[in-house]
Amino acid sequence: MSLREAIQYSLMILLYLFLQIFFMRNIVLFNYAFCFIYIAAILLLPADMDRMYTLLVAFAIGFVVDVFSNTFGMHAAATVLIAYLRPFLIHYQMKSRGAERAEVGIRAQGLGAFVSYIFPLILIHHSMLFLMEMNNFGMILYTLIRIGASTLFTTILIILLELFSKR
Amino acid sequence: MLQLVDFVVRNRFFLVFVLLEVLSVWLIVRNNTYWGATYFNTSNYYVAKTLAFSNSVRDYTKLDEINADLASENAHLHALVAKLSQTNSGQLPAGYVPDSAFAARFTYTVAKVVDNETNKANNVITIDKGTAHGIKPGMGVISATGVVGKVRFCSEHYSVITSILHSNFMVSSKLVRSKEIGYAKWDGKDPNLIDMIDVSKYTKVYKGDSAVTSDQNSVFPPNIMVGKVEHVAVNPNQTFYNITLRLATDFRNLSYVYVVQNHQLVEQENLKSRTIELKK
Repeated sequence: MSLREAIQYSLMILLYLFLQIFFMRNIVLFNYAFCFIYIAAILLLPADMDRMYTLLVAFAIGFVVDVFSNTFGMHAAATVLIAYLRPFLIHYQMKSRGAERAEVGIRAQGLGAFVSYIFPLILIHHSMLFLMEMNNFGMILYTLIRIGASTLFTTILIILLELFSKR
Repeated sequence: MLQLVDFVVRNRFFLVFVLLEVLSVWLIVRNNTYWGATYFNTSNYYVAKTLAFSNSVRDYTKLDEINADLASENAHLHALVAKLSQTNSGQLPAGYVPDSAFAARFTYTVAKVVDNETNKANNVITIDKGTAHGIKPGMGVISATGVVGKVRFCSEHYSVITSILHSNFMVSSKLVRSKEIGYAKWDGKDPNLIDMIDVSKYTKVYKGDSAVTSDQNSVFPPNIMVGKVEHVAVNPNQTFYNITLRLATDFRNLSYVYVVQNHQLVEQENLKSRTIELKK
């Protein structure tokens, strides 16, 4: 990764963290749909980035969000999990399409492939987050609705942001 | 030995992954350790400053409601003063002389809400007063309209409050008309509704009755509003009512709160802890 790319991606991470902390934290649709836009920063990192760095960056991002929302380590745990699973999914997609270079992004992959890449990871992230936050088992149905609604909301928002961003 | 090194090198990503996950879970479980409680939450000075900045814009749009709340609190206090000056608390038994130190045991500190959550399963509130203003963990917090929560962490200038909308927070409360005592506890779903548990079903509970903090509370002053009875149900297998209260405080629009300091709390707790030691 060149220095220019490194700066570019650092700025992207900061931008997503800013969005999350100042805007998305306050937005909840119908008391069910939350938006954790910051995970886009992990999902959109270059596919060939060193896995060790990805894990550490994911932990740092999750931890910053944790500090700002008093959750201690829940976001960090969930974000590290998707950062670990991400390379497997990219690899699997690359093999099934027979592509030579692994690339991430709506322009490089096309809408269908992009959605099938981000959707499972967002679902895993949100499930882990909400299930960890759940206090008692009686809330399970309520939590499942929250997971579903939030996954949809985050996915749609990430796609919209990707469509309108110039790379 | 070489095999071990080989194993570590081959599985280094998985090992780092497990290490980071264990670290996160450790942070969640040990969230009461000193440095975790001091730096890594919204009572951190820089974090709270940032949140206060983002909150200041929203505050202007809420001024109307804040004014209305304060005006209604004023009216309530005026009514209380009038009532007190007329009846010199006639319900006390003849020989009972109230201790003036006991009557004046509560003092209040006004604080501004810097950050507010209502939608999570465990909600906390951050306020802009801390140890520098005499605030300590364990103090009660109320607003113009009712009970808010209890102080959990303090830094020098900011504090984090466990809101009443938190799974391990209960308030001992009393129904005004039926004089029954129970606990108010949030079930984790709607931020407007709260459950009241442990109310015996052999007394009549009226719909619309007010629930206030009980006299058995050492953190909150008595007769602070908690909510109004919204829904009463009886489970035939149990001896308790299932009561749902509509909260008096609208947590979404919380702007200013009062931190309640009970000067005799230490004395009271010391006495209590002595009875526990005697039992052992």
